[in-house]
Amino acid sequence: MADQNEVLVQVRNLCVNYQTRLGPVSAVDYVSFDIYRGEILGLVGESGCGKSTFGKALMRMISPPGEIVNGHIIFEGEDIMTFDDDRLRDFRGRQVSMIFQDPMTSLNPVQRIDQHLIEAIQVHEPQTKIEQAMDRIRVLIERLGIQQRRLTDYPHHLSGGMRQRVMVGLGLVLKAHLIIADEATTSLDVIVEANLVDQLREIRDEFGVTILMITHNIALVAEVADRVAVMYAGRVAEVGSVEKVFHDPLHPYTRGLMKSVPSILLDDEEELYKMPGEPPNLTHPPKGCRFHPRCPSVMPICDHVEPTLEEVAPGRLVHCWLYQDHPEKDTETIKVLS
Amino acid sequence: MSASFRNFLITRLLLTIPMVLILITFVFFIMRILPGDPIRSQLGPRVSAEQADRIAERLGLNRPLYVQYFDFLWKTVTLDFGTALTQGERPIIQELGEKLPATIELTVPAMTFTAVVGIGLGAYAATRRKKPIDFGIRLFSIIVYSIPIFFMGLIFQIIFSVRLNLLPLAGRMDPLLLINFNSITNFYILDAILTRNWAALVSALRHLILPATTLGLALAGVFIRLTRVNMIEMLHADFITAGRARGIPEGRLAYRHALRNTFIPILTLIGLQLAILMAGAVLTETTFSWPGIGRYLVTRIQLRDYTAVQSTIAVFAVFVAGISLAMDVLYAFIDPRIRY
Amino acid sequence: MSKTQSDFEFSPSAETVPDWMLELDQVGIVRRMLMARKWYGGDWWFVVFSALLLLFVIIVGFFPQWFAPHDPRAEVGPSLLAPGEPPSSYVLVTTVDSGVTSLRQIADSSNYIGYQVATPSSQALRDALDELNATAEEGVRYQPRPKRFETLEEGLDALQAGEVDGFVASPQELEGVMENYPALEVASGLREAAESGFVLGTNQIGQDILSRIIWGTRIALIVGLSSALFALVIGVPLGLISAYVGGSLDRVLTLIMDSLYAFPGLILAISIAAVLGAGITNIIIAIAVLYIPTYFRIVRGQVLSVKEELYIEAAQSLGAKSRTILWRYIFPNVIPSVVIIFSVNVADAILTEAGLSFLGFGLPPDTPDWGIDLARGQDYVRRAWWLITFPGLMVTMVTLAFSMLGESLSEILNPRLSEL
Repeated sequence: MADQNEVLVQVRNLCVNYQTRLGPVSAVDYVSFDIYRGEILGLVGESGCGKSTFGKALMRMISPPGEIVNGHIIFEGEDIMTFDDDRLRDFRGRQVSMIFQDPMTSLNPVQRIDQHLIEAIQVHEPQTKIEQAMDRIRVLIERLGIQQRRLTDYPHHLSGGMRQRVMVGLGLVLKAHLIIADEATTSLDVIVEANLVDQLREIRDEFGVTILMITHNIALVAEVADRVAVMYAGRVAEVGSVEKVFHDPLHPYTRGLMKSVPSILLDDEEELYKMPGEPPNLTHPPKGCRFHPRCPSVMPICDHVEPTLEEVAPGRLVHCWLYQDHPEKDTETIKVLS
Repeated sequence: MSASFRNFLITRLLLTIPMVLILITFVFFIMRILPGDPIRSQLGPRVSAEQADRIAERLGLNRPLYVQYFDFLWKTVTLDFGTALTQGERPIIQELGEKLPATIELTVPAMTFTAVVGIGLGAYAATRRKKPIDFGIRLFSIIVYSIPIFFMGLIFQIIFSVRLNLLPLAGRMDPLLLINFNSITNFYILDAILTRNWAALVSALRHLILPATTLGLALAGVFIRLTRVNMIEMLHADFITAGRARGIPEGRLAYRHALRNTFIPILTLIGLQLAILMAGAVLTETTFSWPGIGRYLVTRIQLRDYTAVQSTIAVFAVFVAGISLAMDVLYAFIDPRIRY
Repeated sequence: MSKTQSDFEFSPSAETVPDWMLELDQVGIVRRMLMARKWYGGDWWFVVFSALLLLFVIIVGFFPQWFAPHDPRAEVGPSLLAPGEPPSSYVLVTTVDSGVTSLRQIADSSNYIGYQVATPSSQALRDALDELNATAEEGVRYQPRPKRFETLEEGLDALQAGEVDGFVASPQELEGVMENYPALEVASGLREAAESGFVLGTNQIGQDILSRIIWGTRIALIVGLSSALFALVIGVPLGLISAYVGGSLDRVLTLIMDSLYAFPGLILAISIAAVLGAGITNIIIAIAVLYIPTYFRIVRGQVLSVKEELYIEAAQSLGAKSRTILWRYIFPNVIPSVVIIFSVNVADAILTEAGLSFLGFGLPPDTPDWGIDLARGQDYVRRAWWLITFPGLMVTMVTLAFSMLGESLSEILNPRLSEL
């Protein structure tokens, strides 16, 4: 099970900007938190909140016009911001790997499945002989529930779910420690999605692989993740265990999120909850707390001073003035019990 | 061969026939509307009326148009091209048999040059996009494309033949060596090897350099551009990003993954370039006095010898259609997505 | 929590695009032009350079009379004069004891006057004789018999031996050589040296090359632009209609267009030009026919892909007429590609026209056209390189300008290829 205490990745003050025609867009703004070994962490938020960018930044896969302008990402004790090209290439695939949203286009259409896997191995471990590599691959494929004969097929012969499993396999073949699933289930139908997610959980249980699940599907996160991090406008709003955050959300944004999920228990009379306001303009983000224009609990301090991501209870972090002290505040700071 | 591939082949073949038919018909009617009397322009205005009529009858020129048309179609299919109007009435098919290998011997090396230079430079430029070398290669390709082929040929002639005296000015072989040259297939290089005539081989190769390079370079401009554009798109493809996320080095991503996928659309482009290649061959052959079907066609049109012109263009049309068919088949064969 | 109405609904699983992101694409044209240099980098320079070049070319092409120093068809100088070389003076050489002091004295048909072949001396003689004849009295005609010699020495030897009565040469040639011929002297001048030559030299007829290439610009532009426009006007609507209507009309048209497209353009153009005959309109038609399929194919391809877009279906379901859909939705999408094709088309048309003229199927023989000049200069490659070099450079330059414009426009307008 998850080793809650060993930290796999420490992210400190990560900032990612995109250069656009209207000026720089701050996609990820001073994000700091930890990912623990062996956990399934869900990263949720609406479109444009910076979660995908964050995922890519973890592998330093940000390409122009985007740029990591600040911060450190300490992966298993090493700051990947200091890696040169060779070290980075070794890092990618071997220590961390990514599953993408569209499995069809993520595989090379003129390369067979086994060639994909062999290549991944040979690029990182050039001394491996083909037979050894094939042995490893066969075992892995079977574990993932893909038939052996599929190895000689081309990507267009496989279904969406199978292709996605091949992507998982590509992540596992080098025994990566962290798998980043960037909207990996969005293009799959519900049943296939459930299968894939189950498989991910099994992989975590068996191999101890850490999984970062980036998605806008909160329900999925509720079902499978251990912890969840909520992002808004390039900042982390709240982090905590799934039960605690879903049951008792602290940040006003998280509260709004939970409320707006349609429930089967909804009365005919009740309307769907709509969060007021608009998503933020990232070229000219709101001052202070970026959520303040839409926040139902907004306080005078919120529009000019930014809070910090504080651990207000063991394992619970919130980025909100409601739970922090400040000399300018005249209202009570809410104390969180656990 | 799978069923779907076979069907594809048959459909494609069937499609070629109307294409060729349309072109040949087009040519036929154009030639008929040709101003100027072909008979008189050949034999001079002093031809008497009876003589003119007799010749017209022999050529079948006074029959109704549709009869002439079907006769023409039939003759084309059976390769009965008739005889040229001048030059001692040599059978056209013999002329074509001599000239076609000359053109092939010119265009094949040219095309190879184009492919190697074009694809190589284009792919390299795509990997270094927006850097100075990219603009340099693009500028080079535009300049090369803008220079008229015949001008380039003339300039090469001035530099390499007149000024530096390195290479021969024109023709396929040194006329002195040509006397003793035994040409079986009319592919001079092949024949020289077969008859072990090494002096002739050297001469043939030396004569080939300038025209082939001219033609090849002129087309390379287009190729560089096309390869570059396709490669850039390919380099942004998802599977390339996914590969990068697995730690595959950039060089391998570019040349083993992106370029391989780019070959497929480029292959079809090669097929399309064929038309431009032929046009370029006409100009190159004229500039370098290369005895191929391009130059033959031009002189025949100038002489209003429309039996020869019809036949030559018919041959062109079939040739072009045939190659493009082959290209399509090759394309389907290479791209596994189309195979099954 | 109050359930307030907002103009924007949030739902956690919907793909909503915030307004400010939409703004990124709606940047105004002025801002675009001002910021273009930063955004597009090197391509911006390409566009600017080619636009300036084109402007220059167009001005020269539309007003050649402002730029060309001479009439392009007139024989304004000695033939085959090198660029910048002033036409030299020519003198009449005779034997010392002949007592001849002017051309007039030996210019009757009983005398022979020699000159060296392939030099301007023959023309100098002709010009001098023309001048004499122009001012001659009635019935008097000056027409000595010409005799050609390969070299200067041969001519002077012949003069000394009495085979000819006079010899035409230039003072520069004679310098140093006259010492060897004590029996000969310079009788009189035939032609004065001019102060300046012709900037780009003259061709074999004596026409000024600079003037010819300037007037050639006009022809090239007329042919290039007209044929491209013609092809566009026919090809684009055909493509639009064919793709939108679909069905058998589409199939038939596509077949015809594909066949034409696959066929070597030059040969087709030659055939059409040979049929229609020489003349500028016919050339324009011939070249235009070559490019109609290109417009057709590209436009048709674009329309087909746009046709499948959902917003077209939406418009149809709202009851919009086909005509409206074509005009307001599909056509604007097609414009950028058409613009790019147009500029490449003009470039290609100019090249094709040059090729046609080079092969002799183009314009009437003495038109100041680059292709014709190139064809005529082909035989003089060894002796007078300037005959082909300058027309060739002009073709290259103008084609380059149009191609560069098209190429960099496509780099900028193509959204998939741009970085942003």
